[in-house]
Amino acid sequence: MLWGKLIDHDKCIGCHACSVACKSENEVPLGSFRTWVKQVEKGEGLSAQRHFGVLRCNQCEDAPCVAICPTGAMHRRDNGIIDFEKDICIGCKGCIQACPYDAIYMDPVSNTAAKCNFCAHRIEVNLEPACVAVCPTGALVVSDLEDPDSPVARAAARSATSVRKPELGTRPKVFYKGADQSVLDPRAASRPLQGYWGASRGACGPLQTPEPGASGALDETPRGSGAPAAARVSYDVPRDGVPWGSKISAYLLTKSIGAGALMVGGLGLLLFKNSPSEKVGFLPPLLAFLFLNLTSLFLVADLRRPDRFMLLILKGRLESWLVKGAYVLLCSVILASIWGIASLSGYHWGAVVWHGLGLLAVGVGGAAAGYTAFLFAQARGRLFWQSPLLFPHLLVQAIAAGAAGLALACVLEQLITPGSTVVFEGRMVRLGGVLALGLVLNGVMIMGELSSHSSEDARIASRWISEGPGGNVLFWGVFVLGHIAPLVALALGLWLPANEGASPVLAIGVAGGASLVGLFLWDDLYVRAGQVPALS
Amino acid sequence: MTLDSHPPYDQWDSWTELDPQAWPKKVEREHMIVPTLCFNCEAGCGLLAYVDKETLTIKKIEGNPLHPGSRGKTCAKGPATLNQITDPERILHPLKRTGPRGGGQWEQVSWESVLEDIGGRIRASMKAERHDNLMYHVGRPGEDGFMNRLLQAWGVDGHNSHTNVCSAATRLGFMSMWGADRSSPDYANAEFVLLVSAKLESGHYFNPHAQRLTEAREQGTEIAVLDIRLSNTASIADHWLPTHPGSEAEVLLSIAGFLLREGLVNEPFVERWTNWRVTLPHLRQRISDEGLAETLPTGEGLAGTLPPGEGEEFADFLALMTHYYSERYPFSRAEEASGVPVALIEKIARKVGKAGEKLATHIWRNAASGNLGGWQIARALLFLNVLTGSVGCEGGTSPHDWHKMKPPTPPGAPPHSRWNELLWPPEYPLSHYEMSFLLPHLLLDGRGELDVYFTRVFNPVWTYPDGANWIEALSDESKIKLHVALTPTWNETAQFADYVLPMGHSPERHDHQSQETHMGRWIGLRQPVLREARRRLGIPCADTREANPGEVWEEAEFFLRLSWVIDPDGELGIRQHFEAPDRPGEPMTVDDFYRETFRAVPGLEEAAEKEGLDPLEYMRRRGAFEVERDGERLNLHEQEVGPEEPGVEIAGVRRAGFNTPSRRLEIWSEMLTDWGWAEHALPDAIESHIAPAQRGPDEIVLVPTFRLPVLIHSRSGNAKWLLEIAHSNPLWLSPTDAERFGLAMGALARVSTQIGSFVLRVWVTEGIRPGVVACSHHLGRWRKESEAPTNRWSAAPVSFQERGSELLVRRVTDGLEPFESDDPDSQRLWWQEVGVHQNMTFPVQPDPMSGMHCWHQVVRVQPAGPDDQEGDVRVDRERGREIYREWLKKTRPGPGPGGLRRPLWLKRPIRPTDEAYRVPSED
Repeated sequence: MLWGKLIDHDKCIGCHACSVACKSENEVPLGSFRTWVKQVEKGEGLSAQRHFGVLRCNQCEDAPCVAICPTGAMHRRDNGIIDFEKDICIGCKGCIQACPYDAIYMDPVSNTAAKCNFCAHRIEVNLEPACVAVCPTGALVVSDLEDPDSPVARAAARSATSVRKPELGTRPKVFYKGADQSVLDPRAASRPLQGYWGASRGACGPLQTPEPGASGALDETPRGSGAPAAARVSYDVPRDGVPWGSKISAYLLTKSIGAGALMVGGLGLLLFKNSPSEKVGFLPPLLAFLFLNLTSLFLVADLRRPDRFMLLILKGRLESWLVKGAYVLLCSVILASIWGIASLSGYHWGAVVWHGLGLLAVGVGGAAAGYTAFLFAQARGRLFWQSPLLFPHLLVQAIAAGAAGLALACVLEQLITPGSTVVFEGRMVRLGGVLALGLVLNGVMIMGELSSHSSEDARIASRWISEGPGGNVLFWGVFVLGHIAPLVALALGLWLPANEGASPVLAIGVAGGASLVGLFLWDDLYVRAGQVPALS
Repeated sequence: MTLDSHPPYDQWDSWTELDPQAWPKKVEREHMIVPTLCFNCEAGCGLLAYVDKETLTIKKIEGNPLHPGSRGKTCAKGPATLNQITDPERILHPLKRTGPRGGGQWEQVSWESVLEDIGGRIRASMKAERHDNLMYHVGRPGEDGFMNRLLQAWGVDGHNSHTNVCSAATRLGFMSMWGADRSSPDYANAEFVLLVSAKLESGHYFNPHAQRLTEAREQGTEIAVLDIRLSNTASIADHWLPTHPGSEAEVLLSIAGFLLREGLVNEPFVERWTNWRVTLPHLRQRISDEGLAETLPTGEGLAGTLPPGEGEEFADFLALMTHYYSERYPFSRAEEASGVPVALIEKIARKVGKAGEKLATHIWRNAASGNLGGWQIARALLFLNVLTGSVGCEGGTSPHDWHKMKPPTPPGAPPHSRWNELLWPPEYPLSHYEMSFLLPHLLLDGRGELDVYFTRVFNPVWTYPDGANWIEALSDESKIKLHVALTPTWNETAQFADYVLPMGHSPERHDHQSQETHMGRWIGLRQPVLREARRRLGIPCADTREANPGEVWEEAEFFLRLSWVIDPDGELGIRQHFEAPDRPGEPMTVDDFYRETFRAVPGLEEAAEKEGLDPLEYMRRRGAFEVERDGERLNLHEQEVGPEEPGVEIAGVRRAGFNTPSRRLEIWSEMLTDWGWAEHALPDAIESHIAPAQRGPDEIVLVPTFRLPVLIHSRSGNAKWLLEIAHSNPLWLSPTDAERFGLAMGALARVSTQIGSFVLRVWVTEGIRPGVVACSHHLGRWRKESEAPTNRWSAAPVSFQERGSELLVRRVTDGLEPFESDDPDSQRLWWQEVGVHQNMTFPVQPDPMSGMHCWHQVVRVQPAGPDDQEGDVRVDRERGREIYREWLKKTRPGPGPGGLRRPLWLKRPIRPTDEAYRVPSED
């Protein structure tokens, strides 16, 4: 038994009975939608037409929401239905990011993920889903795909049907017949702020940022200039907004600092032949311990059900990078703790042990820094995040952030308990060098992220950053404050011939602080931009 | 393996489903499934209410698969009925006004005191012979005879309806041609469908008809739609003819001319069934009078001079018809008037001709209700059916009454002899029907006054034109002494009542109903489902109030009770009609009424018996009964009838024919000649009040009538799931006009009518042709800020600023806001928009013949000024009065032939005795 659905737009009359029957059957709150009927107007004069698109979960064979789900709350039933179990959902919103079809929302009552599940509870008692039962024209059909004679299987076997975003390889089990591309492809119609039954998504949804294409200056509509003859959305539903916001940006930064401290510190251990521990000091494990724990706190705080965070471990599915990430973070914290305790206890390990620890720190730190690239890649709905540069970029960012964090920590330590100036300045120069190198590489990575894109969504996201609402933040915040200012400060403070004006403390303070602010601003732009392109 | 659409009927008493909220845990919930009928639009689709057996509450509402019209399916408004039931702001108790009328202050009172007060007043009026001061004004009747029987028993000519703001024009157009006031198209078997309506999204009967239209489309039937606006229907149709408003008859008659020229007329049918012999001499005269004779082609004995009146042949008739319609309505003229290219009109004409007898057409409101003379548009459309012979046959179009089951109600009083001129003023002898939207003007003119005025599911202050004069009349306690609003929900009109009496929604009330949804007949029962559930569970329930929320009642039971209060001792001769048929001296119950009524439905008693049930129990369990199957009610005009029955002799055999005076299809209407409108006795086009010649250079036409598929008048104002989808009615503007008026997408515009203006956002779209703007119905609800908060799902609080006869209605907030209530969703209300109340700025524009309010408006559109706010409505009440008087001058008042107020054969609700039709002679 493998349930599939046919949405026959040759029969759909755009009456919205399905939308309302679904609300009733599943008690879907206002503002949330398991199914809706998007409308697009196209053509001019006598050929003008209004197209309908019944949109909802596609019940993918290769379901990205299931893959990313840390607890198995999103799961595939034996009959092929992608179902959800709200009792074990921790509200991480990963499924929302993974779904390329905008099909999942956070239920405001339970604070857990929900979506169309083909009314699995009705199918269980041999009833059609509510939308199918109500549809006046029989435009919605559910049947067993394993039975080649069933209506959906027969329709799907013909080339006349299509699925949404086939290029993503999710293999939907919801097939469209007679649907105009302008309703299935979110890029194929512009979105005016005014709809004909109310303000449209751009104006009324919590996501206040109009997407490129909605404003005159940034019209990305491929089919024309936004003139009325071009395809234009006339009705759509509001969205949940930005599922991942500042807490995720903060998580990225604290993780970069913590993981970077491990990496930079570990590198230090490896580079010093003698007494590596003494030379590297106590700060890297301390910083790593503090910031990686902070990272976990941000992650938990971003859950809609933080009370259930333990399910990440208790119910953890290793397929999910959220779970893998949790383990990586746990390992990193354990490693930082061992290192810190060993370093504090003053126990004299041989250099070989320290070198081994250094290697481990670089590796585990790198994993902690870089795993997010795989997590973001699991968010298959967000094409901007599917960048091959993300992994190396996260490593580079972690090195820069780790160096900046350590340098600031050294300054702080020096200010509180002044030690040998020579040792301090030596550390400063080395960390300054790493920071400078990290920043230069990071700048290159950012340019890379913004210039090479394999998809329209990614292009829209990067234009949102570079030319759209993110433009000022990118230029003044990320580049000037986050990269150029620190590099100038480092050059002035550390490498120019020593004169009376040069102050390593001030230079490092400025460079470290400014670069961390810049890195945060970039992370925030990156996280938000990925969520800008409409999915449906 | 296939899934069921609905639970099997034999399990409706105990149906177990899994709780979707607990899923994937399998938590079972036991329901009783009780059928009822939808009460949102007039289609009467079958619903199933799922009653939770544990809590005795309604959990959800689906379609009833046993209903032959809707076949288990509903539109969005079906399941949203649940919102209406659980609306946290619904009226739960009888309320009585405490402050001034319209002041928004209420106190809860008992039903007993309500009955006593109202009953006493009605009794007093009756005893003083002021029967005409009693009026029952219904918006959505949703029933087929209960109130008619009741008012007849009261001896009151006081039935008022909403027909003249709705479908009066179509009714006159159809009535004058085939003696039925609406049509029943057989879409499913048609070869071609011609619509002057948006059947796939609104109107009578959207869901049942959309099903059959879709079946037809699957079989390759093409659909053409005449509509200036790109409706969903026009968009889905194979051919969209965006005819300029008012030009529709020109286009249809040019098609008629084409059919005649091309020999595509069904000659045997036309010869057999039309009154061509009556028409021919008039036609000849018309051709002569209009100077068309000179262009008459030679041949067939018609050259140059007209043949003598004797020995006329059908061929002559055809030749003259061809000449008349070709000369008067060439394609070129249709193109000029409508803006639709000749090529497209001709293409449609060919398809109409090719479809022949399998031509299904439909119009109900739309263009007919928009234009002066709109009734001729409906007639022109039906004319195409007549010419092609697609009347009453499979795939064609039938008179609606063939497919509507209206059983006799229990025996009651004979017709009364009263004639109420507040409803049937002498200026409108042919109106269809009561001149309901003139009521405030007639009252303000001093033509009468009302002692007790019931409004039921009726919101004229908002829905009708010239709402300001409704407010004026409703506020005047000397004109309307007691206003009783019977309503399930708050509305703008109820705020001007003395009593607001809560009545049930579709699962909370009794009615019987039938509609012409297809080529069979069915009858359905609306019932209070929780009362029925109690009955089946053996829980006593004295009346519907016990099962409904709060003290919500239902009209049927209320009026049965009120009738006893009016005449407790039988002195007035009323009580006897409300006694139980089998228990004399005891009050008739709803069970008595419906049991008797259903007994009169052919075949129902037998069907019930097979299941061991009586007819009422059968209906309570199944909700609907199929009297005849689809296809069983065709060609009824051909039925042979006895000499006593109405009929007409056709080729020596007496046949039933049609309900016209001649029993034939009347191309020339003698009724129109008799009543002073000879110039319109043929299907012709009448120049609309919004025709180009009637407009200034800076004026444009506003089409304000179209509906949205998810809303229903102002009654869906408490259905959150529907409002979440549609909550605004922007002004549709073509890109050309947007440029002309300097208005961009989303800009604020001011639209000025003859008596006021309104301010709203614009929606620039290719969905409307240049030269016309459009704004949808349903939205722009308001409540005065002084009133207690009601309708917060849809209504914005407004201030009333009055200066002389001028009124400015202005929002005092930005729109809707989330609010606290028992329903957590009210805190999640995410849209602010409410739309704009355009109808208040329309003057009354009564068509002098049909009595239809001609909805289209000549307006000026401009960017909003600095003093304008979104949602503003300005209106000058006195100006509204002046325009009423101007339109009154267009009439040709009765009496007609024989001193009649109205043709005797013409339908009207609660027909009085023939005597009442005659104007009393002066002496």
